[in-house]
Amino acid sequence: MSDATHGISRRTVLKGAAVGGLGLAAGGSLLAGCGSKSTGPLAYGARSVDAGPTAQNKALIAAYTAKTKNEVKYNATESNAFQNNLSQYLQGTPDDTFEWMAGYRMQFFAEQGLLADLTSVWDTIGDQYAESYKIASTGLDGKQYFVPKSWYPWGMHFRKSMFKDLGLSADTVTNWDEFLKMLDGMKKKGLVGFAAGDKGGWEAMGTFDILNARINGYQFHVDLLAGREKWTDAKVLDVFTHWAQLIPYMNPNVLDLEWDGAMQLLLQKKAGSMLMGSWFGGNFKEQSQADYDDLSIIPFPEINPEHGRDTVDAPIDGWCVAANGTNNDGGADFLKFAGDMEGVNATLAAKDANGALIPMTSANKGQDTSTYDAFQKEQLAVMDEAKYITQFLDRDTRPDFAGPVVGPAIQSWFKNPKDVNKIVDSLQAQWDALPPLA
Amino acid sequence: MSVDVTLQAAATKYRNKQKIKDRFISAFIGVFAIAWIFPIIWTIWTSLRPYKDVRANGVFSLPKTLNLQNYADAISRMDLPLYFWNTFAITAPAVFLTLFFGSLIAFVVSRYSFRWNVSLLLLFTAGNLLPAQLVFIPVFKMYITLGKAVGIPRLLYDSPWGVVLIHVAFQMGFATFVLSSYMKTIPKEISESAMVDGATVFTHYTKVMLPLLRPALASLGVLMTTWIYNDFFWALVLMSTDSKRPITSALGRLQGEFVTDYNLLAAGAVIAALPTLIVFFILRKQFVSGLTLGSTKG
Repeated sequence: MSDATHGISRRTVLKGAAVGGLGLAAGGSLLAGCGSKSTGPLAYGARSVDAGPTAQNKALIAAYTAKTKNEVKYNATESNAFQNNLSQYLQGTPDDTFEWMAGYRMQFFAEQGLLADLTSVWDTIGDQYAESYKIASTGLDGKQYFVPKSWYPWGMHFRKSMFKDLGLSADTVTNWDEFLKMLDGMKKKGLVGFAAGDKGGWEAMGTFDILNARINGYQFHVDLLAGREKWTDAKVLDVFTHWAQLIPYMNPNVLDLEWDGAMQLLLQKKAGSMLMGSWFGGNFKEQSQADYDDLSIIPFPEINPEHGRDTVDAPIDGWCVAANGTNNDGGADFLKFAGDMEGVNATLAAKDANGALIPMTSANKGQDTSTYDAFQKEQLAVMDEAKYITQFLDRDTRPDFAGPVVGPAIQSWFKNPKDVNKIVDSLQAQWDALPPLA
Repeated sequence: MSVDVTLQAAATKYRNKQKIKDRFISAFIGVFAIAWIFPIIWTIWTSLRPYKDVRANGVFSLPKTLNLQNYADAISRMDLPLYFWNTFAITAPAVFLTLFFGSLIAFVVSRYSFRWNVSLLLLFTAGNLLPAQLVFIPVFKMYITLGKAVGIPRLLYDSPWGVVLIHVAFQMGFATFVLSSYMKTIPKEISESAMVDGATVFTHYTKVMLPLLRPALASLGVLMTTWIYNDFFWALVLMSTDSKRPITSALGRLQGEFVTDYNLLAAGAVIAALPTLIVFFILRKQFVSGLTLGSTKG
């Protein structure tokens, strides 16, 4: 392991020298890396073409350029395409800084030497972040490769008005029995209790994550996804047994709906609750402010008292610096600004097309939470209750396992829940058959 | 007289039978036509509805509003002129080079007999059998290595020329195959008399074969244009700057990270499909003859 790391750093150094020798500009930026403000022009790779994030990025970049006079070239790619092509992107001619995700997804590329060490950035702005964010930004070699921007929790979403009509409140749905009772009550009213869609293959991973964490605890979940525990374990079967109890309360067309189909059920008041990441709140807001104000989130109920509600899936989005970029110091300098409260404020000041502020829960602990709206405050509460943060199944395990193996496995389970033994056998067999990481 | 009547009756009977058969066939074709046209109609229908309406009332609800707003939004968000230009800058040279090189090889393997000519043709056709997903990693590495070797990292990778080259390489097998089959239908005597008249190999190609190849080149050109126009894969894996990518990737700009406004996407898809449709309707004849190209070689 350490041999590989040394090999990579040696290569990086050689590459740096080659670039420095080739162009005066690059050579200049290498020299200027020693603490100077002017690290030269850089390129920014955005992982989204959505209006909201684009407005935020542009505002952040404008503030950075105004402060440092460093020009930033903006290159935005649609998120799915960007994600699928990241490996090539990083080996080719990547932008200096690019948007990515924390945890395993970042470590995977850091291990291959494709990300630049950002320890110096963390030395400067590290005290503005809680320890859990630093852990999520750290590679397997103990160095930081990531600067967090924002997060959102996964939890049970419902509409306040419907909860009121059903005579429910957040503290009447704290454990599994109460939860099933709630679903039963919704079913009796002719509602879908647990709106679900899994056409995309990733949506139901969130349900697996939370059930596994609630039943078997954080440590087992993390170990399972890292291959240190077996999918054929009785504990995993227990997860599917609990999950099967939810099926009668789901919409029957789970495999025909993508996540937004499930969301529409909640929006149209045809469903009583939905487990999802809070990011979809933007859709409610777009529909109408009243719909957004009606939206609420609580933590997924407790199942095993030993673990309580101590874990939450809360994916962290942020930035990395590409080792193969032409201006690593520029990228790091940009992230020093972006991760600092100054950059966070510039991002938060961005406005959407209607002139409204874009809601964002920043990873920086300096963000003034009193400006949060009610829904954001609830998200924060869900987050604060949890002791352990997981990133989401497809961010916590190997990319060549999550999407191609776990996704279809869960889909086939939905088709035939009785096949669960066959499915976990196949999951384990496919994990065992994966090639070792380079 | 009676024979006449019987004959007439038989004829009527036959005609009626034929009519029923015809009706049956028409119904059959009709069903298939509807099955084919339905997705297109549905796309257009979807593109006219606002997403907000669908989100609130469901896909199968009756529309409250129908308008062209999605088209206006798609045009403004897709940055059309830039991406259409990118597509043109990739498609035009790629089609031209494919036809040029394809016809050269086809010319040699079909007009001159030498030891390896059949093997050569097979080699080119076999290249066609490899799926792009299988070979893209080596191609990608090759582009990167070459760029690094000459000191210009974007020589082929992240450059339209790199994409043009890979299209030429990939389509040339098919072009060679089709053009050589077509050339074999041109009588050998024409070539022989050209040679007797003292034409060099080059004159033989430019002055004799090329003019005769024109219909084949036209239809193959139309086919190639649609194929290369529709490519998304190569532009994605061989380019890192989105503003250099073709129109197919601009469609991605209409797709959100989480929220996909399918109504907007449908409008974008209709816009992106327009140029190929226009090309198709203008060159319909060539397109159809292109489908049967070389298939009648005895």
